Amino acid sequence: MDIENTKAQMRKGILEYCILSVLSRNSCYASDIIKELKEAEVIVVEGTLYPLLTRQKNAGLLSYRWEESPQGPPRKYYELTDTGRSYLSELDNSWQELVGSVNRIRTR
Amino acid sequence: MDKTININIGGSLFSIDEDAFGMLRDWLQSLNNRFRNVQGGLETIEDIEMRVAEIFHSQKGLAGVITKDNVESMISIIGKPEDFEQQEPEDSGKSMYTRNDYRRRLYRNPQDTIISGVCGGLGAYLNTDPVLFRILFAVAFFVFGSGFLIYIILWIALPVAHTESQMRELFGSNFYAGSHGKTGPGGSQGHGNVSSGIGNAFNEIFGAIGKVIYIIARIMLILMGIVFVITGFTGLMTFILVFVFKFPNILVLEGTGLNMNFLPDFMSYIVSAGTVPWIIGLSSIVIVLPLLALIYWGIKMIIWFRARDGIFSLAAIVVWVASLAILSIVLFNEGTSFANTARTSSEAIVPRSSDTLYIVSDHKLNDVIYNKEVSFPDDEYEIFINDNLRELYFRPYLSVKTSGNNSTRIEVRKHSAAATESIAYQRLRSLQFNYGVKRDTVRLDEYFRLPEGRKWSADFVGVKLYIPEGTVVKLDKNSDFILHSNYHYRFHGRFGNEQWDNDNKIWIMSDDELVPAGI
Repeated sequence: MDIENTKAQMRKGILEYCILSVLSRNSCYASDIIKELKEAEVIVVEGTLYPLLTRQKNAGLLSYRWEESPQGPPRKYYELTDTGRSYLSELDNSWQELVGSVNRIRTR
Repeated sequence: MDKTININIGGSLFSIDEDAFGMLRDWLQSLNNRFRNVQGGLETIEDIEMRVAEIFHSQKGLAGVITKDNVESMISIIGKPEDFEQQEPEDSGKSMYTRNDYRRRLYRNPQDTIISGVCGGLGAYLNTDPVLFRILFAVAFFVFGSGFLIYIILWIALPVAHTESQMRELFGSNFYAGSHGKTGPGGSQGHGNVSSGIGNAFNEIFGAIGKVIYIIARIMLILMGIVFVITGFTGLMTFILVFVFKFPNILVLEGTGLNMNFLPDFMSYIVSAGTVPWIIGLSSIVIVLPLLALIYWGIKMIIWFRARDGIFSLAAIVVWVASLAILSIVLFNEGTSFANTARTSSEAIVPRSSDTLYIVSDHKLNDVIYNKEVSFPDDEYEIFINDNLRELYFRPYLSVKTSGNNSTRIEVRKHSAAATESIAYQRLRSLQFNYGVKRDTVRLDEYFRLPEGRKWSADFVGVKLYIPEGTVVKLDKNSDFILHSNYHYRFHGRFGNEQWDNDNKIWIMSDDELVPAGI
């Protein structure tokens, strides 16, 4: 068994949930999200985030607007849509359930 | 020092070392391979490229040269595509999205520009050297300026490719080879073309039939496109030659007597003064827009490009319909001033003492100064314009008939049109045409005229001569002109053979028409 692979599998499951959670506080552009996720050690490389954002946006969970950046190209600022919000609150519930389940198993 | 290459990433231009470029290109290539078959993959690639640009900006600003170190640290931040954690469900709509995402469109290419990037765009779109198109346009420039015209149309119709995805639509599968570093070492063309491998016999047969049908349709379309372009072009050239340059004689069709060169000038005598520029402007739009559209769609059929021209076309259609509508209203308004017609006719008997009848003209066109001539083919209506005095002269309509009762008669009919009948009668009375009879002689003016400055109002003077059979008819030079202009077609071949008596031409009245003496 490859421990890194298992860790990656675990992260993978919660990444979408984490992105939505970050965006639930305020709208940000990709680098802000990356910073938070990196600090929390949920992702290793930035490239992982971009396909996810695209997919969530296409699924109607996120919307974005362009904003000029003080330097470099303009930035996409993402924010949660109403669908995204209700989607997130469902994930919140299932996360609570999951944590509860895991804890029950571990402390038995 | 290493060679540097200019590249465009995420909409920004950077200079990059050659070896760093190779590294970046390989990375972008693997990024492309990783995402191009994935739903929304192109957008992801675009987002990542924006991020790359941002990282380069923060490292270098706009001025510095990107080195291998910069590329390495960028890759360590974003990661290698194979390190991205796979999130998307596998095989989701793989083929469906590749087709849509690789839709090609023609844009102007901002990276390869001499004037506006039209040729650069064509080259990128058709994967050909843009120099070819530059030469073609330059050569076509000398063919009645057609190259210039087509160039301008494409310039207006084609947008510039601003974003990465537009560049991708422009370059298609040559995107990496073409748009990133045209001075660079070319770029390996190795996106393994995924063949389905499921070689179903039916599919192959239908595929082959489909291909043949496609090629035939394509050829038809190209032929149609060529016809469109030629038609549009000829029309446009004619329009420009006639209305802009008043090219001499282009509308004088041999043998028909049609001379409408000065029709636009004559127009100022028909409609009220202020509306002439409107009519000319609006009819130009009404005529020219469809011709331009024909040329554009013809080109489009021939080289089969896609462009975001929907709004452009819509605007053109709106302008055209509006112009046509306004033109109709203007013309309808003008038309009402021809709504009523007044007619008169008068008659005189010519006293006869011999079997010879002289027809002579008092007022001769030769004595009139005119600088323009308009003629219409069917009713032999000829108009002579003196622009300085703003006077109009017309040839009267002459017909010669065999008299039924052995008397010689002249009948003169006039008509004029106007908005109301009473105005029409006023105009009619002001038509200046003189005729008179003496023993064995009919005197006619060679022309009739409108009073100075008066507009044209469908004015007409017709002269009918009833002459007994067997009469010898002698015409002087000017009355001969009247006959000539009226009988040119009907008497084809008879003119030129007449006998002369001093200055008179001799004709003889037969049982139904005039024939030259001696035939």
